[in-house]
Amino acid sequence: MERILRIDMTDRTATFEEIPERYARRAGRWLTSSIVHDEVPPECHPLSAENKVVFSPGFLTGTAAPTSSRISVGAKSPLTGTIKEANAGTGWGGRLARLGIRAIIVEGQASGDGWWLIKITSDGAGFEPADTWAGQRLSETYASLFDAHGGRQSVDICAIGSAGEHRMAAAGVCFNDREGRPTRYAGRGGLGAVLGSKRLKAIVVDDSGAQGVQLSDPVLFETGRKKLTEALTSHDITKPKGALNCYGTAVLVNIINEAGALPTRNFREGRFEGASKIAGEAIFAGNKERTGGELYNHACSPGCIIGCSNTWHRPDGSEHTSCIEYESDWALGANCGIDDLDAIGELNLLCNEYGLDTIEIGGALAVAMDGGAASFGDAKRAIELLHEIGRGSPLGRILGNGAVVTGRAFGVERVPHVKGQNMPAYEPRAIKGIGMTYAVSTMGADHTSGYTIAPEILGVSGKLDPADPNKAELARNFQYATAFIDSTGHCLFIAFAILDIASGFEGMVDECNGVLGTKWTPEDVGRIGGEIIALERSFNEKAGFTALDDRLPGFMTREPLPPHNTVWDVPDAEIDKVHG
Amino acid sequence: MIEVHLYGKLRRFADEQDPRAASVVTIEAASTDSILDIAERIGIPASELGANLFLDGRYASPDASVGEATRLGLFPDDMQLLYKWYFRPQGESAVAD
Repeated sequence: MERILRIDMTDRTATFEEIPERYARRAGRWLTSSIVHDEVPPECHPLSAENKVVFSPGFLTGTAAPTSSRISVGAKSPLTGTIKEANAGTGWGGRLARLGIRAIIVEGQASGDGWWLIKITSDGAGFEPADTWAGQRLSETYASLFDAHGGRQSVDICAIGSAGEHRMAAAGVCFNDREGRPTRYAGRGGLGAVLGSKRLKAIVVDDSGAQGVQLSDPVLFETGRKKLTEALTSHDITKPKGALNCYGTAVLVNIINEAGALPTRNFREGRFEGASKIAGEAIFAGNKERTGGELYNHACSPGCIIGCSNTWHRPDGSEHTSCIEYESDWALGANCGIDDLDAIGELNLLCNEYGLDTIEIGGALAVAMDGGAASFGDAKRAIELLHEIGRGSPLGRILGNGAVVTGRAFGVERVPHVKGQNMPAYEPRAIKGIGMTYAVSTMGADHTSGYTIAPEILGVSGKLDPADPNKAELARNFQYATAFIDSTGHCLFIAFAILDIASGFEGMVDECNGVLGTKWTPEDVGRIGGEIIALERSFNEKAGFTALDDRLPGFMTREPLPPHNTVWDVPDAEIDKVHG
Repeated sequence: MIEVHLYGKLRRFADEQDPRAASVVTIEAASTDSILDIAERIGIPASELGANLFLDGRYASPDASVGEATRLGLFPDDMQLLYKWYFRPQGESAVAD
């Protein structure tokens, strides 16, 4: 029987509870947002004992469904003050699911200066002191914890780095990848700081002896699994040696740059002259030279058949860092005017070591550069600033609290954020649909809240021109479909294949029905997604957010963005129609 | 004249083929030429073109006329992330959804 594990850090108790009937068919983002909505006072301080961190694997996590190892993490965000869900690909969530744990709720706050670790096994959950690992780089922490808990094959680990210990609003929640690297992040929104406020350093999960995920209809599940697998392995983007496997998400650097929408030097321009030097093709070519062979990307988590996660190698061929995602490449590269992959690799490595969201930190560095703390393109200084964050120096704490705090500290108006979260790697003045998504997302500026989901799926008629400001339906429906996929445990990248191959989309729904015993149809995807968004918006309204917060910053309405020389001109009324 | 920026496997049609540099072919173009016309003149098989085609940074379909554009970006069929699903390209009439 599946259960919820409630961990109270105040008195260090761990209690298993039955899943309430209202949550019986909820998992992943649907469940984390439901619990945060139902249990966290919306007006609470995000770093107070009243806030709760909720972990939940998706419906399909822990099963044989392809590319379905996402773990959702939710809380009230210290970065935005809104509800937050961030998810990561890792084996950690699958182990939880196989142990029959649908969710973990971490609440309360430990007193004193000590740090704690929770070990979860089929026998239950126990607390251990974790002071040994405080202040360490996460690569050291993970190596030591794997040694202490039976090795990489026995456990997966969730932990925070020094940024989370310092309760910085750009602190992410780290999970290990398939090889044990501490590189997979529920990165955005400062959820690592919330764990830090509770003095919870790590959660180690060992699923030895677990019963596995129970399937309501194994035949239907298998039918769905095969349909989706066929779609993923045949589609140009997701198949072996396809675009994602070959070039990783960083293939987008050249594409978005060519479209004039690659934010450059703190969103001053839409094209970066150094884009080719840092793009996915350059990573592939550089690795080939340095390792002596073609290096295709790898799966970040068990059961992923897309395999988009890359590595970057030093001149001697040794591995420098993983993974230089498109967003990280852009944030630490083009957005800071840096065109040197070795420098970007080092910055990426340091974000992973200190437990930081690469997007928010790239944004904060760029704002600091705009404010004179360094010159755009000064990689050496950027690396020094990353170490300041890792040390928790006063300057590091400013940067580690994100772009908005950095903008205030340096007197910079040009802070490209919504609700306190720095925009990711798509310029809204050039791609207005993504600007609508940023504006109305329940979590601040976030590309994954409405990423690559075609309107056709949900019955919207026709695609829209990128420059057309009538984006309301598009943004709404993208967000609904995304919220559903975030609840399945599937990676959002399955969308590329299931949009083109109808049987793949049916396969995803079949898989869910096969696990849950539901009778969902493709139409239910939009309905359920809408329910999730409504829950999240309800939380935000009670936290004090209004339509006036669904706005892009003023500088974007005044500063034309080269090369298109366009401004953000979507009328407020159009934005308000999205959820109006 | 129009500058054609080539990516991925299409770089082989430019003199500069290092993926860390710009692979550019500069070619005569009439305003009525379509993207397909230009690609054909360079020698690129239509089957290798993906959906990510950009005229002066604007997402365009293969049969869109280049007009007064000075820059054309062409990505191959194995690099067509994002745009195809989000947006309707300029001159889409002959392109099946």
